[in-house]
Amino acid sequence: MENESKSLWAHAWDSLKKDKTAVFSMTIIGIYVLLAILTVTGVIASDWSKEVGASYLPPSLENPFGTDIFGRSVLLKTLKGVEMAIAIGCVTAIISTVIGVLFGLTAGYFGGKVDEVIVWFYTSQASIPGIMLLFAIMFVLGKGTSTLFIALGITSWIPLCRLVRGEVMRHKEREYVQAAAALGAGNRRRMLKHILPNIFHIVIIQFSLRFQMAIKSEVILSYLGLGVQGAPSWGTMIDDSKLELSRGVWWQLGAATFAMFFLVLALNLLGDALRDALDPKLKGKA
Amino acid sequence: MKMRKISICALLSGLMLFTSCTKKVDTSEKVLNLAVTAEVKGMDPIYANDKYSSNEIARIYEGLLEYHYLKRPYTLVPNLAESLPVVSADGLTYTFKIRKGVKFQDDAAFDGGKGRELVAEDFVYSIKRLADPKLQGLGWWLLEGKIKGLNEWREKNSEKDVVDYSEVIEGLKATDSHTLVFKLNKPFPQFLYSLAMPFTFVVSKEVVTKYGDNFLNHPVGTGPFMLKGGEFKQTSKRLTYVKNPTFRKKAFPVEASEEFKPMLSDAGKDLPLLDKVVVNIIRESQPRMLQFKKGKVDYNSVDKDNFDSMIVAGKSLSKELLDKGINLEVSPSLDVTYTAYNHDMKLFQNTNLRRALALAYDVEEMNKLFNNGTALPAQSVIPPGIAGYMKNYKSPYRSKNLRLAKELLAKAGYKDGKGLPEITYDCPSASTSRQIGELIKKQLAEIGVNIKVQQNTWPELQKKITKRQVMLYGIAWGADYPDAENFLQLLYGPNKAPGANGSGYDNPEFNTLFKKAAVMQDSPERTALYEKLNRIAAEEVPWIYGVHRQGYTLKHSWLKNYMSTDFEAGQAQYINIDLNKKKEMLNKL
Repeated sequence: MENESKSLWAHAWDSLKKDKTAVFSMTIIGIYVLLAILTVTGVIASDWSKEVGASYLPPSLENPFGTDIFGRSVLLKTLKGVEMAIAIGCVTAIISTVIGVLFGLTAGYFGGKVDEVIVWFYTSQASIPGIMLLFAIMFVLGKGTSTLFIALGITSWIPLCRLVRGEVMRHKEREYVQAAAALGAGNRRRMLKHILPNIFHIVIIQFSLRFQMAIKSEVILSYLGLGVQGAPSWGTMIDDSKLELSRGVWWQLGAATFAMFFLVLALNLLGDALRDALDPKLKGKA
Repeated sequence: MKMRKISICALLSGLMLFTSCTKKVDTSEKVLNLAVTAEVKGMDPIYANDKYSSNEIARIYEGLLEYHYLKRPYTLVPNLAESLPVVSADGLTYTFKIRKGVKFQDDAAFDGGKGRELVAEDFVYSIKRLADPKLQGLGWWLLEGKIKGLNEWREKNSEKDVVDYSEVIEGLKATDSHTLVFKLNKPFPQFLYSLAMPFTFVVSKEVVTKYGDNFLNHPVGTGPFMLKGGEFKQTSKRLTYVKNPTFRKKAFPVEASEEFKPMLSDAGKDLPLLDKVVVNIIRESQPRMLQFKKGKVDYNSVDKDNFDSMIVAGKSLSKELLDKGINLEVSPSLDVTYTAYNHDMKLFQNTNLRRALALAYDVEEMNKLFNNGTALPAQSVIPPGIAGYMKNYKSPYRSKNLRLAKELLAKAGYKDGKGLPEITYDCPSASTSRQIGELIKKQLAEIGVNIKVQQNTWPELQKKITKRQVMLYGIAWGADYPDAENFLQLLYGPNKAPGANGSGYDNPEFNTLFKKAAVMQDSPERTALYEKLNRIAAEEVPWIYGVHRQGYTLKHSWLKNYMSTDFEAGQAQYINIDLNKKKEMLNKL
């Protein structure tokens, strides 16, 4: 206790900065995000669909990851795929977080009938196998990238909702919430201004985990032919390569897996680091 | 105690794993080991609308006619019929004599469990079943409107609670126990082909009645093989057939076309030549090829990604495979791949636009990438090998010609693609289908046409086509029977979806000519008409034509009498296995 006291977030930031893995993973994620921004704005990889040589050229200096069936550069496709991966991760994680937090907060805070209805709703949804639900949503909404976002988002909010609900239930009886009530704070104020910030570390951790799960799900869906249409994604690249492997074309699989591996690993590590930094229960133990 | 039990279990399961890995290929009896790529839907002939199910059904069931195993072009010969039918002068009445002494396979449904003799009435029953409005047989299109009184019977019964099979239909009569008479509404020379298709194969009323809904999984026919255990399980990945002990005397053919003469060494032998047929359902191409290489599958087709590693210079096998005694078979298949326009849309009624897109499409590149350059670019709808195909004909809208494509696009009113909406290309969900879509997208972009590729599951795509919710879609057609009519009907206006004409092309001139040709008996005049139709189909560009594919099949040295054919149904009975050779060659694999 030297000078003024720090907020939870400032504390967390401090410990994150000291954690080498966290810095490392944040740097990697930063690079990926930067790449995504660059491809969206067309600075790099805008000519990914251009032929650069014959089909299935092995990796060389000119084409570091070789070429695909149409003679397109696998490197450019992989870079363009970053955009899709980040978009899918981000949007899906946001959708699922918003739904999860909203429902979890409401259920946990109000309890009673409201809680019962929400719990009933998510338990019924959880009892449907995830992949079936994904298929169903894709069939109803039709295919497309936005559908993919929505489908992945609304099939992955339940774990977060459960966590938030439990945590809110513990918090709502605490003194600070009672104090807020005594000072005349309404339900909304108590929920959003007082309880939410105190459980927000869960949301952040879950957000980073959702993010990487969405990226992995996209690969599976593309493999099943339900994924991204018309733009390169790591999933479609891996789907392509299942046929190419037998002729010894490993570079497309290699590039996509490589790119995905680092992003998912970084997100996982960051998730853990965030937990260490944010979870009050773990504070001071490291 | 507990610990020990666990360790024994672990040991046992370890052992089991070990044995399954080193399992030897059985050489004690003649077993044909096959690998097929898709699940079998069931064993009821009236639902056999895909290749995989109909091949399985044809091991157990038989029809009146079949294709001569060793003759090309494909020739119909009697199977359960004693001889080819007597056709009346007006081409309307077909009289069949049924072979005597043919027995159904033994089953509990028959008296005393012994299969009874086949009679003409069984065919009447089986064909009525195909027309049964309650059963919704998938092969009804084959006979629809063809047999006198059958449509009326179907209509009448669709409102009743129970379909009345006792009513005699004028066009479908058993005049005595072994005589069957068909009367047609109008001359339809292709009628005989339908009697060689699994849809019309003969079933017995006793079995259908006994098993009811489960008849789908309980096949009992007259054929050379029967399902081991008698029950078909939808989930099983392996089907085992054994020789039917009561199969009639049927001999291996004694005549053959030139290319199949070497197979005559089995001439006159009793069929089937095998003791067992084992069908493995393996969906992915890699495990299929690995099983083949280990000798666990007797023949296997070569897919595009195995092609380069196995086949040298597009025609001969690599030395490694030759040393193992593996042979390569190349055979053209009666099919055509195409990208269809939806002609219901005003956009695609514009002939210049259709031609422009076709000219921007580079079939050579697609052939190189997806068929290893082995397929034949299609000039029009009829594949080589059947009358109506024109060997030296080159369509003016076939080969890639960007200059002309751009010119026509401008003429169509869409200079450089301006004013054209984004065109959706629908395809099945397989990776290769998507890649083909991407290629089309890439090629059409060169003249400024914007394509969006959309993958669909197979039923979804079918539904979209039937409901006319497509713009462009990629698909293929394989022959049901070796007659150009089967291909030309895909463009016949009145056949519009839900009929086979999924593109909805409707050209009065084409329709009139087709209507005329379709009822003619095989003759030079008919061939001339077919050629004329084929030419219209090329020049009007109702579709962007793809290729006629060629099948590349690898077979092991011990497999005898195998050839790849478009009409595989019933093939297994003619195949033989050289067991000595197999023992010898297995060591080399």
